[in-house]
Amino acid sequence: MFMEILGIIIILMALRTLIAQDRAERMLYLNAMGFAISALIVLYIQTPFGAIMAITYFIASTLSSNAIAYSIGRVKKEILVK
Amino acid sequence: MNEVLGIIIAAIICWFNFVLIDTWMGLPENPGVKGAEVIGRAVKKRGGSLAGGFFQGNIVCSPDASAGTLLASVGSYAIGIPEGGLIAATLVYFGNRLCADPGYAGTTGALSITLIIYLTSMVGMKPEFYIVGMVLAIITIQGLAHPTASRLLGKLAQKMGRHTKMT
Repeated sequence: MFMEILGIIIILMALRTLIAQDRAERMLYLNAMGFAISALIVLYIQTPFGAIMAITYFIASTLSSNAIAYSIGRVKKEILVK
Repeated sequence: MNEVLGIIIAAIICWFNFVLIDTWMGLPENPGVKGAEVIGRAVKKRGGSLAGGFFQGNIVCSPDASAGTLLASVGSYAIGIPEGGLIAATLVYFGNRLCADPGYAGTTGALSITLIIYLTSMVGMKPEFYIVGMVLAIITIQGLAHPTASRLLGKLAQKMGRHTKMT
């Protein structure tokens, strides 16, 4: 039951990421997804190594979010495919 | 304990744990890292509060008490009840330092939830309730409606005397 709840949350957040209009708004949904994915990793791999993987995944994802959010402030226009 | 009831109780405990520690540590006051300021201003542009926006931006950009709460529950679930939380707190501290953050909020959050998990395990609360509960708690801040959540966080920051002085 735990994994089903987390799966539904991930799908909902993924859909909201797709329909978001603002790049900064997208980062917030991706962060919420990161929380759920890291929880899913440890509930699937129920060993101490699974916990280390989940922790490393989450910390690395916040590091890259920091870099992306920093560059959002510098890039003026989003390049869109027409 | 009943699973649904356990998850709801854990979600409420996690929400108060990370929101109170993060506000107390001054997350709404100023953007600790550069990326947080960009996200805070974008939330304000969409009708939210700047202090709440900085709070949300800080959660995205570095592992704060919210990450500490999740990762200490993860450690307690897979490694063991006190030692897993302590390992998670150490790793969160490393992550904070990599993001050039002081790192007190993340480690305080991890240590406090480890203590809470240890105490509530005596009444039948399992660490997996806290894992799912924390995900539900973060959804209320980051996943439903950002301007509304940021206004709530801004009001809380004002009550605790941690509202931002930036405009």
